[in-house]
Amino acid sequence: MAAGIKTVILLSFVLAVGFLMIILSCALWSNWLPLLVAFTFVLAPLPNAIFSRCGSDDFSTEEGSGPVDLGRFITSIIVVTGFALPLVLAHSEVIAPTACGMSIVGGSLVYGTILAYTRTFRQDESDFD
Amino acid sequence: MSLPRHNYDPRRVCINPFPNISLGKHRRTVGIYLAGGLFALANWTFLDAAILSAHAHPPFDDPQLPPPVHVTFVDWIPGICSLLGMIIVNLIDKDRVRGEDGMGDAAAVWRARLVLFIGFALMAGGLAGSVTVLILKYIIHHYQEQYTYYGYANVSQNVALMLSAIVLWISQSSGGEYEYSLSI
Repeated sequence: MAAGIKTVILLSFVLAVGFLMIILSCALWSNWLPLLVAFTFVLAPLPNAIFSRCGSDDFSTEEGSGPVDLGRFITSIIVVTGFALPLVLAHSEVIAPTACGMSIVGGSLVYGTILAYTRTFRQDESDFD
Repeated sequence: MSLPRHNYDPRRVCINPFPNISLGKHRRTVGIYLAGGLFALANWTFLDAAILSAHAHPPFDDPQLPPPVHVTFVDWIPGICSLLGMIIVNLIDKDRVRGEDGMGDAAAVWRARLVLFIGFALMAGGLAGSVTVLILKYIIHHYQEQYTYYGYANVSQNVALMLSAIVLWISQSSGGEYEYSLSI
């Protein structure tokens, strides 16, 4: 259990650093558009979480069904959107290039935290895989 | 080449140079994530051009003339065609198109193939239309590179949409029928 507590503390620090980067990238230039990146990455695991309940059946051994695929597709779209949005904004000179880099790094830290958390503390599926 | 090949077929003319990639269990998942990523990348490439066009200005040491061309609705049409084609292609039941397992009547197979043809024609039409827009709207007017970028972004949007549809199609057909569904 000690390892679990250490992991939780580490992940929360990484999450805080990620949000710090995003908020700094907004506040230093007083242009709050990069905050959309934070919303995007927080929203990213949501379709998988919703649609993974739809297709799971005890009898269907083959993986994948329509709703699960749709959830994965939307998740992938949202993740790429999170990376593409600051690049597009920086390309059209709405935000500064440094703000773009900071928000990308912060966003990937946030999303990496979410991924690592779900990977580490997955409970139900690990017995069967 | 003294060693015999692993699966040697004497009827074969060309040796298939593609490596037989088997991602195994996660092939479907990886393919679907890849397709979604390509889809988002396609649309963001074009949206980048559109946003850039809305914020366009000449370089600061040049005379401040208004930009000669903008992204208008004409540029959006190929992407919309590709998107419709991608939706149609992925709505088709893939077992129905094959039509050899004795399932369904011949008319349903015929209709499914017709709809599939319309979908692929829409995607190809979108690609061709984007190239048309690139040439007719941007290249023959000899705009600067800053403005021809809009046309190139349009073409790459349609190429990536088509790639996304292909990846989605391949990854959704299940593992044992991999070679078979490629040959449709």
